[in-house]
Amino acid sequence: MFSCTIPKLRIIFPTARSLSSLASPSQIEPRQLAFPPKYQQPRQVWLENFDTIEEKKLAILELHPEVFAANPRVDIIHDNVRWQSLYRYVSYAHTKSRFEVRGGGRKPWPQKGLGRARHGSIRSPLFRGGGVIHGPKSPNPHFYMLPFYTRIHGLTATLSIKLAQDDLHVITDLEIPTDDPNFVEELVKSRKWGPSVLFVDESDIMPRNITAATDSVKHFNLMPAYGLNVYSMLKHDTLVLTRAALDLIESKLLTHLHKNNSVPNTQKYKLNQV
Amino acid sequence: MGSNTAEKALQMLKFLPRVCLANLKPSPGSRTSKKRGRGQHGGDKHGAGNKGSGQRQNYMRLGYETGNNPFYLRFPHEPYYQGHHLRREYPPLSMLDLLKLIEMNRLDASKPIDLVSILNTGLYKIFPDQRQYGVNLTDEGADVFNAKVNIEVQWATEPVIAAIERAGGVITTAYYDQHSLQAMINAKKFFERGVPIPRRMMPPPDAIEYYADPTKRGYLADPEKISEERLVLAQKYGYELPQIEKDPEYEMLTERKDPRQIFYGLHPGWVVNLKDKVILKPQDEELERYYAS
Repeated sequence: MFSCTIPKLRIIFPTARSLSSLASPSQIEPRQLAFPPKYQQPRQVWLENFDTIEEKKLAILELHPEVFAANPRVDIIHDNVRWQSLYRYVSYAHTKSRFEVRGGGRKPWPQKGLGRARHGSIRSPLFRGGGVIHGPKSPNPHFYMLPFYTRIHGLTATLSIKLAQDDLHVITDLEIPTDDPNFVEELVKSRKWGPSVLFVDESDIMPRNITAATDSVKHFNLMPAYGLNVYSMLKHDTLVLTRAALDLIESKLLTHLHKNNSVPNTQKYKLNQV
Repeated sequence: MGSNTAEKALQMLKFLPRVCLANLKPSPGSRTSKKRGRGQHGGDKHGAGNKGSGQRQNYMRLGYETGNNPFYLRFPHEPYYQGHHLRREYPPLSMLDLLKLIEMNRLDASKPIDLVSILNTGLYKIFPDQRQYGVNLTDEGADVFNAKVNIEVQWATEPVIAAIERAGGVITTAYYDQHSLQAMINAKKFFERGVPIPRRMMPPPDAIEYYADPTKRGYLADPEKISEERLVLAQKYGYELPQIEKDPEYEMLTERKDPRQIFYGLHPGWVVNLKDKVILKPQDEELERYYAS
């Protein structure tokens, strides 16, 4: 009875399947990895299209394992997130000490003879309405600088986690045929992305349609590659990189991981540091 | 790099819930609470110990030993430290380090090596304002040194000179004054300032003897005497002196700076414009006379 609905088991060769689904493999040139990895295999990711709702897999791209298969250090990611939320936070909580509270200069009652406890001021911290000892003072900036390579490793760890958890997708570009928000919502739904998606492009001037389509949807956000950060990647469920953004991010991170003049970056943070 | 732990962790992450802002944690034990308890839970010494000088944070002056004859006064006068705050310093760089720099391609041995190229590696630093006057090439690794170099350092001992010359190289000791060193420690930054390259000053009286000594391969010494001393040193240390004249890199090995020159290929008085990639040279006769060697 059910035999007709259950598909037959077949042996599927992954390579054969991947090749058959390629739209036009010859048109898309493979990626050349800078600093070719010696000890690790490159990671692979599908290059997908973005101009139709249904997904078309265009090619397989190789990803550098030092960026996309780095050690997923959750503690480093935590350090980054903590730093991102703290460095621009200024606490305005403020309390007054016993000398800043108005009044309290006069001895409230004589030292002796009344049978009451001795007191010198009605603004002593023992009194209601008195000053506060070691209370918070305003403004209290929480700015600090995370070490440069902690920031770099935070990015590689987060990208690696996103890739490992199938939350990283690479698309050709951000061109869509319409500026209707429903198009992007349908696309995201059918491809099982999201609900929240971060689209990262190479530059900060995005195509008009995607800008208009995602403007009203608060859980779809656009970001240039230079703004990529750990907090935003984790805040969104899915990270979608354009191919150009992927190239830029990978080359920037590899440059910082491999350069030999890292001393200026690792020195103590100064304003206008080179 | 390629560690198995990273692979395993990434494999595990495939089947774990999505890493997000809500499930991050620092390393266990890496953060301790700064809060101090109040009242009976707070501790009553505020971390300053019990009673006395320590608790009142009455820090005694440096070296004071509460009435003992202090250590720094206990011994008689030590004259060999006299004037130590005025003496020139030459921070050491071992021959092993130098060889490593060359083999790791941080230094190009096919060109003359000088203080500028050593500083440009970023792995050796000097602070001229702390009276550091350049490289003291030390003899650690002299036995294994096999690079043929034309090197200019500020201080070198006899075994170092022998090791360089045995390998077919050339060594010179040269003096740079404070202003020259300031220009050399970050040449790019200096050129960006847009000021003319200064002329190198002559060594001070107490250094002139060293830099005019052919046995020290001083840059002010007579070249004839230096080639004589090269032979003498080869006989003393028992190696056959490679003939530089027949070397294919003769040009490179014999390249020398003028005693007034700081950068190879650039003369004092020139202004290097990195933005337009031009070099401005002084035209005025008076300037030419001033910058002439």
